[in-house]
Amino acid sequence: MNDKREGAVRAALSGRIDSGNASVIEAELRGQLEGHAGEPVILDAEKLEYISSAGLRVILRLVKEHRDLRVVGVSSEIYEIFEMTGFTEMMTVEKAYRTVSVDGCEVIGEGFNGKVYRIDRDNVVKTYKNADALAEIRHEREVAKLALILGVPTAISYDVVRVGDSYGSVFELLNARSFTKILIEEPERMDFCVREYVKMLKKIHSIAVPEGKLPKIKEKVLCAVRRVKDTLPEGLGDKLLGMVEAIPDSDRMIHGDCHTKNIVLAGDEVLLIDMDTLSVGDPIFEFLYMYNAYVGYSEYDPGIVLDFQGYDAKTAREFWHRTLAAYFETDDEDAINAVEEKIRCLAYPYLLDWSARHPGHDKEKEKATADLWRSRLVELLGRVDDLDLGAVAAAGRDPDELNIEAATDNLDEVINFVNEKLETCDCSPKAQMQMDLAVEEIFVNIANYAYAPDKGRATVRVEVSDEPVTVTITFIDRGVPYDPLKKDDPDVTLPAGEREVGGLGIFLTKQIMDDLSYEYRDGQNILTLKKKL
Amino acid sequence: MLNITKTVEGEKTVFSVEGRLDTNTAPEMEKAIRETIPEAREIVIDFEKLDYISSAGLRVLLSAHKAMSSGGTLRISNVNQPITEIFEVTGFSEILNIG
Repeated sequence: MNDKREGAVRAALSGRIDSGNASVIEAELRGQLEGHAGEPVILDAEKLEYISSAGLRVILRLVKEHRDLRVVGVSSEIYEIFEMTGFTEMMTVEKAYRTVSVDGCEVIGEGFNGKVYRIDRDNVVKTYKNADALAEIRHEREVAKLALILGVPTAISYDVVRVGDSYGSVFELLNARSFTKILIEEPERMDFCVREYVKMLKKIHSIAVPEGKLPKIKEKVLCAVRRVKDTLPEGLGDKLLGMVEAIPDSDRMIHGDCHTKNIVLAGDEVLLIDMDTLSVGDPIFEFLYMYNAYVGYSEYDPGIVLDFQGYDAKTAREFWHRTLAAYFETDDEDAINAVEEKIRCLAYPYLLDWSARHPGHDKEKEKATADLWRSRLVELLGRVDDLDLGAVAAAGRDPDELNIEAATDNLDEVINFVNEKLETCDCSPKAQMQMDLAVEEIFVNIANYAYAPDKGRATVRVEVSDEPVTVTITFIDRGVPYDPLKKDDPDVTLPAGEREVGGLGIFLTKQIMDDLSYEYRDGQNILTLKKKL
Repeated sequence: MLNITKTVEGEKTVFSVEGRLDTNTAPEMEKAIRETIPEAREIVIDFEKLDYISSAGLRVLLSAHKAMSSGGTLRISNVNQPITEIFEVTGFSEILNIG
């Protein structure tokens, strides 16, 4: 009953194994394994119906003699026994795969590597084009588990099944919509999508991953750069390689394919999915893939993004641009452009390498596309000298300034920012409260009215000067021109019945601060408040 | 952050508020008062532990005061000095029952 396929000795376990027959079975197994001491062993449990602790002890004794012992084809019930007793931690125990048919099932998603089918009311199965997908599936499960443990909300498949000649992973059906779908069906929610997307990106980019758990994305990109560099004009290829090598190594998590199909809203929870590309590295590598998904692939033919995402190139570009502004907390176009140029220095080599390795049928179009990418890369390499996004972001950001989405949800962050600045001067609790009050009134006004019904960003600048100690707070927004100082003061002597509910914010601010001034310049509302301490 | 503790003593309801009554917390305060108005003849809001109030908080007090004036009273107690000044500047000290 044993053969030497896969270089391992195989033996079968069948029926019930308990204290009544464990010693007989052990003797049989030992007979089959005789002469193979120390060699790998596969125990086929396909016909195993029950195993008691006496049977488990038999396996335990065999593991001591054959370090590489695997139990395969285990039914779900038996797997539970192995799991409960800790055997799954000690050795490889593989479940038998259920067979699932997807004939006639609704396709609810399609990606580069396969399709997602709904197989019944509560479950979906993700299939893979690759017939030998088992390793891929295992990898994806492992990294998704790791991500979940490290605090990333994601979906994990709970079962692996056979689908036709390949395998699939089964997920619980989430009542979820991808951000792609939201952007198509409710374009007015782009603000929401940008905000949640950036929150998710910042979250994963702040997670330190234990060494060795995930691949280093820099190495993958370096390989692509090395393959492409000789197709660039003399000197530029080496310059590019040097710049990529100089990107510091990082243990921070990178999704590696983070576009709007892979971030979903389930109820009010935002989840990241398709974790198979999870890696570690500097965030610039994340942006490389994002740039390509939204802009890069479709630079020559804008129809590509429409085919892939279902929204047009203009929407993709806008979403990308707003994501950068929000991620780097700036609406300074020069700073955003500088960041984007560095990202593109990585994006084009990746695309050129990809295109060289995935030849299609339309040679002419492929050549035109690659030529466009290459010419843009060459142009950028003439002026970009490093790929340090942190430097641009920090240079574009003044420590006395906070640039933030004008939303009442961000009020606490604005107040905290101002209070931190005030810590440097000797500010009484009363003066601090008054300052908070003025900041709240003005910021909430901008949040509610400057961009309504849309959303936009605001800059809050705090400066403290000496003799006499004076705090100057400046609010800048690009919303509709509005001078709040022109608003009539409410009559504060009226009895309650005649008082209007509202209109007090600006009035209070005027009472509390020593000086207020307003100007509209370069498309910006600039309101400056001063108070002597 | 605003913590609201509600104590009912017969027809009198006392809200002890702690923290900040601002744009983000005013809706909670408004909801708590609105739910109480039909059953209370007297509402006291204890400001002892309130550190901060903005115009959003003032608006809630004004509408609560208007709603109560037809058949009950609203009183604000234990107001600290900085908040008292805000009540004075805005004329609220003349409108609300404070003390």
